[in-house]
Amino acid sequence: MSLKPSSPHSSRRAGLSGEFYVPAALAIITLIYLISAIQLGPPMKAGNMTASFFPIATAIIMLIALSCAMVHALRGKARASAESSPADAESHDEIASGRQYAGLSLGAIGVVVLTAGYLLAFDLIGYFVATFVYVLLLCCLFGGGFRDKWLTKLIAAVAITLAGYLLFEVVFQVRLPTLWSQ
Amino acid sequence: MDAISGLLGGFAALANPETLLYMIGGFLIGTFFGAVPGLTSVLAIALLLPLTYSLDVTTALVACASIFMAGMCSGSITATTINIPGAPSSMMTALEGYPMQQRGEGAKALGHAALGSMIGGSLGALLLMVMAPLAADVALLIRTPGKFSLIAFALIVIIISQRGSITKGMIATLFGVMIATIGIDVVQPLARFTFGTGVLVQGIDMMPLIIGTFAISELLVQADSRSTRTVDPSMIKAAKVRRRDFIPPLSEVREIGALRYLKSAVIGYAVGILPGAGGSMAAFVSYAESMRSSKHPERYGKGNPEGIAAAECANNSMCGGAFVPMLTFGIPGDPTTAIVLGVLVINGLQPGPQFMTQQLDLIAPMFASLFVSALILIPLTLYLLGPYFLKIVSIRRDVLYSSIAIVALVGSYVATYSTFQMALALVFGVLAYYLRKQKYPTVCLLLGFVLGPSLEEYCRRALSINDGNPLIFFTSPDSLFFIALTVVFFYFMVIRKPKDNGLGTRPA
Repeated sequence: MSLKPSSPHSSRRAGLSGEFYVPAALAIITLIYLISAIQLGPPMKAGNMTASFFPIATAIIMLIALSCAMVHALRGKARASAESSPADAESHDEIASGRQYAGLSLGAIGVVVLTAGYLLAFDLIGYFVATFVYVLLLCCLFGGGFRDKWLTKLIAAVAITLAGYLLFEVVFQVRLPTLWSQ
Repeated sequence: MDAISGLLGGFAALANPETLLYMIGGFLIGTFFGAVPGLTSVLAIALLLPLTYSLDVTTALVACASIFMAGMCSGSITATTINIPGAPSSMMTALEGYPMQQRGEGAKALGHAALGSMIGGSLGALLLMVMAPLAADVALLIRTPGKFSLIAFALIVIIISQRGSITKGMIATLFGVMIATIGIDVVQPLARFTFGTGVLVQGIDMMPLIIGTFAISELLVQADSRSTRTVDPSMIKAAKVRRRDFIPPLSEVREIGALRYLKSAVIGYAVGILPGAGGSMAAFVSYAESMRSSKHPERYGKGNPEGIAAAECANNSMCGGAFVPMLTFGIPGDPTTAIVLGVLVINGLQPGPQFMTQQLDLIAPMFASLFVSALILIPLTLYLLGPYFLKIVSIRRDVLYSSIAIVALVGSYVATYSTFQMALALVFGVLAYYLRKQKYPTVCLLLGFVLGPSLEEYCRRALSINDGNPLIFFTSPDSLFFIALTVVFFYFMVIRKPKDNGLGTRPA
């Protein structure tokens, strides 16, 4: 997994994989966390631990563990480069590639974008319309496009929307937002 | 006497038609999720979690228990028939079940798996009912420094049980602990890590974390797949099983022997008590022990019912053991019991040493559900649905994952009627996707999140009653016991690593 928009060529150029980038991203989050923890005040006061002690200790141990993971990733990369020929590297890249953007496959990006859109639409246009459209698009994403068995997908979208309504609103009495309640 | 009548009351509670319906419904859902490759019973329970807001706590616990039990045994269906374990705990079953399927004994292998699950699950539930009150009595002896050391022991064992990726286990656990510190401090009324936003003052709810980690991330992982069905229909035609062949011959059951069943059940139960071990570890240890003590170890790996019985008996017995630390200490050792803990917390209940005596009427039906699920529902489901299992689990992926998405996202909305929880579920889902891609154990993330606040609270309380002197952890006998236990586990699991046993595989 690469965190950069990648083709086989770009991932070879970048050299590092998600094995390095994931702990690196977590290290940035942990640093922000550590700074916020330090801003809470001194870790000890009158011999007692304060609210900042535990987060500071956790963040420091986390940073050490993340450093180990990053060093391990760098060493692994160096070892792999030393052991494999350019031809091997190329074939490996071709196997591992599948187009990825920021470490997400196209399918995963589709799910993230559709879900984010659903969250926005859920409050704005209510459960029924938002859910029907979301389910229909998800069916297309998981079922290989709209053209293939489109009627089945349409029926599935209506059925899942109604089943969700029955489950939450009727059986479990959860008040779902509707277009007419806005 | 009160305890016995309380436990019997649990069985009586199952006579309530609504409770019974949820138990059977939960069992069928657990069977489906356990059998479909890629789905797990943990996901099923995670999806059930939001619904517990509207459910009676007893009913919710009964459903959780039956899902747990069903999920452990149903993985053997696809493991045996098409050599794809529906759940990680069925990996060892695949080693023996699939060779049997190849020589036309698939139904018999499933029968042995069901019998092993039935015996193991029932014994595990019985051991839980007998041992949990005793464990609760022991738990009363543990004081604040000991509680800290116990939780630290649990977290360390969870981390070191991630063989080959201890650093990743540690990172995931600590990240869970960090997420748990967001919001009001556990000791004093001070908001932490809110970054100026009001929505974070209450902290991160367990539900979006669970839904995101187990449901949304699964959607993202599955979005990479190109197949249109969960199981290839061509595999179903090649793997037909007949109902009349399900009952294992008595001669083979005798050959396996009562002692092997009993030993496997005890191993599974003991492994279940350990934090982070889970069903796959139970099945692996029991399988290895069964092979070691067998008169015919050379038959293992070639379709030996002994191996199926040992693995299935242990992974179902594990269900009973897993509840012991959660109910008596409030320390869940695996994701399922962590979610069950979430069900209790949502309903304002906090497990602990007195929980077993004070709230026995609430949890006895859950024990009964474990027992009845194992003893009656496992064989009954196999007999009634066995021939159709593969057709049932070969479902259209578009319909399946769209349904999961709706239950997960709308379920996240239920807690606070706000789309913020849904957005958090999405954020945690993306995060868990990255972690899963790089083989970081997301189970550690969840357990770090659940246990983190207690770890901090007991640490600070223990130090404050001893003027900040950390020696209290070494002078308090209960704390010292758990520190010594941690050292022992560390020695055997990290320094003196267990050998591979020549099985060619290791527990997930």
